[in-house]
Amino acid sequence: MFELERRLETPLSVQVVVTVGSIVLALILGSVLLAVVGVDPIEAYPSVGALMFFDQWGWQDLFLKMTPLLLTGLGVAIAAQLNLWNIGAEGQLYLGAIATTWLALEYSEALDAHFMLPILLIGTFVAGGMWAAIPAGLRSWFGVNEIITTLLLNYVAISLADYLLYGAWRDPSTLNFPMTRSFGESSFLPMIGSTTVHWGLPLGIILAFLTWVLLKSTTIGFQIRVAGDNLSAADYAGFNTKNLLFIVLVLSGAVAALAGMTEVAGVHHRLQQNFSINYGYTGIIVSRLARNHPIGVIGTAFLLAVIFVGGELLQVEYQLPIAVIYLFEGLLLFTVIGSELFLSYRLRRRVAV
Amino acid sequence: MTTPELLTIILTTAVTMGTPLLFATLGGVLSERAGVIHLGMEGIMLVSALVTFVVDLQTGSKVLALIGAMMAAGALSGLHGFVCISLRGNQIASGLALALFGTGLSGLFGDALIGSTVTSLNRIPIPGLELIPIFGSAFFNQDWLVYLSYFLVAGLWFMLFHTNWGLQIRSVGEAPIVCDALGLSVAKIRYLCVIFGGMLIGLGGAYFPLVLTSFWVDDLTAGRGWIAVALVIFAFWHPGKALWGAYLFGAAIAFQLQAQVMGLKIPSYILEMFPYLLTIVVLTVVTVRNRRAGQTFMPAALGLPFYRGDKH
Repeated sequence: MFELERRLETPLSVQVVVTVGSIVLALILGSVLLAVVGVDPIEAYPSVGALMFFDQWGWQDLFLKMTPLLLTGLGVAIAAQLNLWNIGAEGQLYLGAIATTWLALEYSEALDAHFMLPILLIGTFVAGGMWAAIPAGLRSWFGVNEIITTLLLNYVAISLADYLLYGAWRDPSTLNFPMTRSFGESSFLPMIGSTTVHWGLPLGIILAFLTWVLLKSTTIGFQIRVAGDNLSAADYAGFNTKNLLFIVLVLSGAVAALAGMTEVAGVHHRLQQNFSINYGYTGIIVSRLARNHPIGVIGTAFLLAVIFVGGELLQVEYQLPIAVIYLFEGLLLFTVIGSELFLSYRLRRRVAV
Repeated sequence: MTTPELLTIILTTAVTMGTPLLFATLGGVLSERAGVIHLGMEGIMLVSALVTFVVDLQTGSKVLALIGAMMAAGALSGLHGFVCISLRGNQIASGLALALFGTGLSGLFGDALIGSTVTSLNRIPIPGLELIPIFGSAFFNQDWLVYLSYFLVAGLWFMLFHTNWGLQIRSVGEAPIVCDALGLSVAKIRYLCVIFGGMLIGLGGAYFPLVLTSFWVDDLTAGRGWIAVALVIFAFWHPGKALWGAYLFGAAIAFQLQAQVMGLKIPSYILEMFPYLLTIVVLTVVTVRNRRAGQTFMPAALGLPFYRGDKH
């Protein structure tokens, strides 16, 4: 028989093997389910892979999908520094998109074109922060469980978007599909070179590095790291942990809201219904997979983008529903959490005593 | 419409809408009393709704459909249990994985069913009781699953607080180390509670095709599983309070539907926010009250993995 023995340290090789192993396991389990619905995975995986990596549309789409996942993942990771669970990235993304849309529709003509993008960026950031201040305040000063409140606010934000899309903001010329009219061009996020990839991606990467610097080299970052390790120790050291919890959750929501901005200003150029394919919920997986490391989320956001584009291709090539993305996400999260045990423990043959 | 009539309509809808929430909340209570958070309710409910629908469509038997739903829900919960108990994975993350996975499964396998319909369960009035003014028909002219839920509330309450099993379950949720020292198998008790709790959540999912919507649509449960997650907390992990919580939310949904029927000048998308905002407000009030009273009702070991080899 085997027993578990705690590792004294986790070598990098073990981390790589366990992470890669869990991804491969998720792909294998997913292939079984694909086979059940009549898709031959041995044929499907390589053809999807080829379209994704060797086709111009494919790799551009990878970077496009990676952008919102990076921002929501980073948002979730910021909250996780204090062991807070921000499950509200989906709602924060919607609120960010609403804020961007409002600013773009309202001020496109009134303001000088050069000011538009900074205004969208700052306005969305502030709006997302204010939205997250609801669960943050409730958590800091009343001790209300942030997992539940952030989660429930997702439904509120999505309903708010629907309310606006079916009401005041609806473009009367589109009768069937609820969407706003297109933004003015000054509110479009510019593309990088001649690609369809917009500047939201570099923005996300810069923010990831800024977050890392904030955590590593500032006083407040130091306080966050101490409080994340041991909240009562931080209290004892005289840090205002209530304020820390509040600030971190607000920042987390503000960053996640930017994903809404990059989607509507970078991709759709208008607000439309169901523009998010669970990008916010997926941010939780992105963060978790990177073990909540702010720079690690860059890599894991790309990995999840592979699942998204793969799911889209399965949808197009094999007429599968969009739910196939959620299926693979769920499997991946399962295998990743399940495998974390082997980072801190190893199997050892039981020795008779 | 007279006021008593309106009240009866809202109460009846509240019970119908609250019943799936009640089943799921009871399942969550059982699992969390043993120390395992069950965040994946939405996924379990969607899969069990799908299984119910398919079995009903194929066999025409509601009982077989329910059994199938409970088996599927038990199996998914067993997976959650394996990750959380045996592999000691993070319970919140595993619950999210389950929610996503279940949504994916029901979407993938339910795609072919969109548009098909099944028949709904009949109402069975209870002679005498249904004649009580206002309340009678709301509580005693319902389908048999509603009556089953009454027995489950009483049964779970009795089991948790008045039997040796219940004591063991609650102890495992409060102090697993002590239980282990006393010779109880923490893992076994947790597995059983997670799996049986999952089956109850499955009943909640099955209620959707059997009573609430007779045709298959994608995302049939529409977020109700998440409300049940919140309900577990503000029911203080207590079956009796779960009943009131579930009906309160049923009433919020009933109010929303009734306001639309009566043509109140509130846009439907604003009304849709109402149950969620109400949950947040009630949760805040309850949390503040508990903190003032210096009480916590949460099982002390909730969310913490247990491994007997760990020395602290």
